[in-house]
Amino acid sequence: MFKGYLCLVLHGHLPFVRHPEFEDFLEEDWLYEAITETYVPLISVFEGLVNDGIDFRLTMTLSPTLISMLGDPLLQERYLKHINKSIELAAKEMERTSWQAAFRDLARMYFNRFSHARDTFLQYNRNLTLAFKKFQDLGKLEIITCGATHGFFPLMDTCRASVRAQVKVAVNHYESVFGRKPNGIWLPECGYHPGHDEMLKEAGIRFFFTDSHGVLHGSPRPKYGIFAPVYCKGTGVACFGRDLESSKQVWSSIEGYPGDFNYREFYRDIGFDLEYDYIKPYIHPDGVRINTGIKYYRITGQGNNKEPYVEQWARDKAASHAGNFMFNRQKQASYLNGLMGKPPIIVSPYDAELFGHWWYEGPMWLDFLFRKIACDQDEIRLITPSEYLQENPRNQVITPSLSSWGYKGYSEMWLQGSNDWIYRHLHMASQRMSELVKIFPAVEGLRKRGLNQALRELLLAQSSDWGFILGTGTHTSYAVKRTKEHLLRFTRLYEELRSNSIDEGWLADIEYKDNIFSQIDYRVHQ
Amino acid sequence: MNILNKVKEKIKKLVPAGFTLKRKKKPFAAKTPVVGIEKEMPSFQETVVADAKFSHPEPSRPARFMQEELPYQYDQDRIVLQVRDPRWVHTYWELRNQTIDRLKSRLGDDFKRARKVLRVYDVTNIIFNGSNANSFFDIQINDFASSWYIDTGHPGCSFCVDLGLMLADGRFITIVRSNVVQTPLEGPSWITDEEWMIPEDMFARLYGMGFGLGRSSPVGGAWQERIKQGIFSSGLSSSPVRKELKERGFWMKVDCELIVYGATEPTAKVAVQGKPVNLRPDGTFTLRFWLPDGKQHIPVKATSGDKLEERTITPIINRETK
Repeated sequence: MFKGYLCLVLHGHLPFVRHPEFEDFLEEDWLYEAITETYVPLISVFEGLVNDGIDFRLTMTLSPTLISMLGDPLLQERYLKHINKSIELAAKEMERTSWQAAFRDLARMYFNRFSHARDTFLQYNRNLTLAFKKFQDLGKLEIITCGATHGFFPLMDTCRASVRAQVKVAVNHYESVFGRKPNGIWLPECGYHPGHDEMLKEAGIRFFFTDSHGVLHGSPRPKYGIFAPVYCKGTGVACFGRDLESSKQVWSSIEGYPGDFNYREFYRDIGFDLEYDYIKPYIHPDGVRINTGIKYYRITGQGNNKEPYVEQWARDKAASHAGNFMFNRQKQASYLNGLMGKPPIIVSPYDAELFGHWWYEGPMWLDFLFRKIACDQDEIRLITPSEYLQENPRNQVITPSLSSWGYKGYSEMWLQGSNDWIYRHLHMASQRMSELVKIFPAVEGLRKRGLNQALRELLLAQSSDWGFILGTGTHTSYAVKRTKEHLLRFTRLYEELRSNSIDEGWLADIEYKDNIFSQIDYRVHQ
Repeated sequence: MNILNKVKEKIKKLVPAGFTLKRKKKPFAAKTPVVGIEKEMPSFQETVVADAKFSHPEPSRPARFMQEELPYQYDQDRIVLQVRDPRWVHTYWELRNQTIDRLKSRLGDDFKRARKVLRVYDVTNIIFNGSNANSFFDIQINDFASSWYIDTGHPGCSFCVDLGLMLADGRFITIVRSNVVQTPLEGPSWITDEEWMIPEDMFARLYGMGFGLGRSSPVGGAWQERIKQGIFSSGLSSSPVRKELKERGFWMKVDCELIVYGATEPTAKVAVQGKPVNLRPDGTFTLRFWLPDGKQHIPVKATSGDKLEERTITPIINRETK
């Protein structure tokens, strides 16, 4: 008997990393790894489900920066080169491990995976957004948008014009890609500040998500806790609270699934393990060892001793973990149903790139979960937020609380000793952008190009990813570079616009480098 | 209210005091490269996991970027206030030189004896006009500071900060005033909506479940390791207390690989251990194998292009690891 809804959300996002000025740029690998390890495996799961007639629902963010990179011809070309090299390495590995059956089978597994990734990539005309769009058009997937460049909104509250620009640019971009407006948004880092729902409403967005305390500490007190959405006071935009129990089942270090000893060990990559001269053509041209994506070991245990990965064991575990997850949701839904007197909605959001990349078996787990939910039970039903709101339009009105899903639940991950220096510059740039819009309410030609580029640079500087990397305190040089680079470009544009002395050659150069959002209109920043 | 307080107490107990966020990446670290209580908190764990999205080169890598510096100041008098969490706010400011000069000439000797102060006003539920604050407190700052973290101690309240001078005679002079911010609540609201009433004990249960303290989990105890540290404890976020135990991480590994290489006529066919091998255009070939312990016979057989002649050479390799 039906007891409640389960709303699974995968948040797919990578910051805009594209460096045409370099032949080979290490951080672009973030995208290539995510394509091979996360996006293609997810698409394959969806394809399998549709082919087998298994109904499912999944909500998925595709951030505007991610969509832009997936659609960029230069990055597409580079991905193809990247995956071809991976296939070549896997083929060599099959030979090298001939006398080691366990490893040879794994080398073959990677060879097949990489080849499949290339085939899928080519099958969708090199643009995987089209694959996701296909499943949205089939009604299985609800794709939602995100901040244009994943800016952390709570720390932009003193310049709401920037929040507005992040939302509007994202919504316009979504519309140009999917042919309709998005119903929902994933606030970057799940960062909500009271009042920002106004900007969402202006842009036609009907729902967003917060972490559990965003709803639980809202006012007035939410009658159903996080197990029913609430409408924001004054705007009526719906807010869904994250369920921590289901999150923890996946990420907790004690009972979290990805730590199972039969699963693949993330930290043992042949890029680091193998002899230098042999692996050199497949690591960074600087000679720095990096991940190749070929990892032969299972987690094995607590210590450093690692045993070879066994595909079948991991598969069995993924199936049993999917069963466990479903069983817990059934119990949870049925208990809540008794307590609330109506079907609860359990909202379980995860970072998409960690499925397959960090948790290698994640996509497989999801596949088992969808199949079990469809075939083995009738207590929980998968649903998207749009469908839920259609079926359950009457919800309580509250003001949710400031919150994020970052470390400690608020803004500290992005506001601490290591990264707080960026805000005086970011805020000043926001203020100046608004000033420019006031001075030049409607211009054409070169000045318009300059203004549009200024907004691009501002948005790119605002990515929460830079603050996050600075906050983790390791390998921060790229995050510093990006923050400064975009701010410096913005500042120069600001000064050249003010003094009417735009250097067209330079402008063309940064338009070519930071080519995101070709349709941008600077006037949204107000 | 008792039940709700109990839930809060329960959550509080599970929250240890003081944390540092540090991520160590060792070549042979297990999937959870952190030790102690920290790793039991999903929000911490998620941070570690989320960082895996961004693979980084090793730190020894030379700096690739030479860059201009950002401006030190923007020639404005401004102070900006933003919320970090329910108890802490962050402020940064800058003052133009001419503003300081003007104060100097206006105040004369008083200026030299004055101290720079942040005055933090509680402006909850009022429209602040400069003199009607509910309360305020001062923080003395030094001349070099340009930002500050302030422990307000009050969730769910509104604050505004003046950067000013405290004169020797106790007078306070405002130089710049910040925007107003409101800290979030750190527990459920006391305000309820008549239309959406729920008995206290039921809300307490839903509230606990929302934080993962529910009853449906089969693992009972384990999932009571609670999360959102800081939410129910006061001001512990500023001073990391824990010391990390130094692990002895010395290690070594050794492995062997075998390179088999040779040459024949470019038109010949070569098989190694029965498996065909691709020749380079000049007739050379190279194979590389991971070498297990024990004896390996590696017959290399070449057949001439016209299939009339054959040669076989068989290296025998013995690996023994002690």
